[in-house]
Amino acid sequence: MRKAIKFLLYSLIFILIFSFMASGGIAAEPSKTGGKKAVKSKDKTKTAPKSETKPPKTGAQKKEDVSRESAAETPQKAFDPKDRRNLIYLDTKGDLAGTGDIKKSGIASKFAKIGAGWHPTALAETGLPVDKYGLINWAKIVKDKLIDPNWNLDPDAKPDDEEFFDVKILFETKSDFMDNVVFPHDIHTWWLKCEVCHPAIFLPAKGQNNMTMAGIAEGKWCGRCHGKIAFPLADCNRCHTQPKRAVKK
Amino acid sequence: MIRGWLVAGVLVLVLSSIGFAKLGNIIFDDKIESLKKAGMPPAVFPHAKHEDIYKCEDCHPNIFKDKRGANDVTMHKNMNGEFCGAAECHNSPKAFPLYMCNKCHIK
Repeated sequence: MRKAIKFLLYSLIFILIFSFMASGGIAAEPSKTGGKKAVKSKDKTKTAPKSETKPPKTGAQKKEDVSRESAAETPQKAFDPKDRRNLIYLDTKGDLAGTGDIKKSGIASKFAKIGAGWHPTALAETGLPVDKYGLINWAKIVKDKLIDPNWNLDPDAKPDDEEFFDVKILFETKSDFMDNVVFPHDIHTWWLKCEVCHPAIFLPAKGQNNMTMAGIAEGKWCGRCHGKIAFPLADCNRCHTQPKRAVKK
Repeated sequence: MIRGWLVAGVLVLVLSSIGFAKLGNIIFDDKIESLKKAGMPPAVFPHAKHEDIYKCEDCHPNIFKDKRGANDVTMHKNMNGEFCGAAECHNSPKAFPLYMCNKCHIK
């Protein structure tokens, strides 16, 4: 009888010590409500549409730009590259140098002569299309003909036939589950000459470039430009577009 | 008397293991054939690292069902915002992006 009481006492003490340690070590009780709140707020964000086009850079910088612009001139959201009144000129510090027609605007032409020109923050206010990372979608701008630059210093120059190469290359992914990549030559040849990529980066023969995503992430092949000056590699679905099932049919 | 001590010790051990145990690495090798074709080692998920940063409820059971083999994880699904690529995780600036293959697919 005595032994049993002693055993019970000991085990009680142990359990008490343990429970004290556990509550101290994990500290679960006070923070649990906070955790639940966090989960709830997460759910709210989940119900919002996934294709959120929130640019990551929207901060004080952009607000400043907006206030600066509204003080100077009413913003025109519809961007027409041919209309010179849409242009915004900033100096090298990012301050507003002038707006509108460079030939008529005294301040702008003055700063243009000094050497100030387009500024990245000015581009953000033009209403140019952006991708889901808030980066300007140059491919879409070209396809929609939002910009239409001259081919040559000679304003009457026209592109040679060789300069366009509208062939799409299918890269079949090695995995069973990953969508295939369809490489569009047309948008790349719009910006670049053949020699930029061939044969140094890509051998110009089918099946000769044993590309891997790991290699691309290390800066080989597509990674020479994408993630640096072209849209980031994190935008998976912009290249992996063709589902595998469609190929099997 | 000795028996009592023993039982008490076992009790303490069992209870403490419930409280403090951290899960080790989970290896996603259910699609090993496809992985072999792609020349990719299976992804290694460091559960303990994630336990340090997040609470269980952040991922379970909404993003990952907490049962072995119940989650059909593919890179394709990750890219489309499921599992590892959920909105607040490896598809956002909060964590390293999905294209950094070798961070999870460890040789």
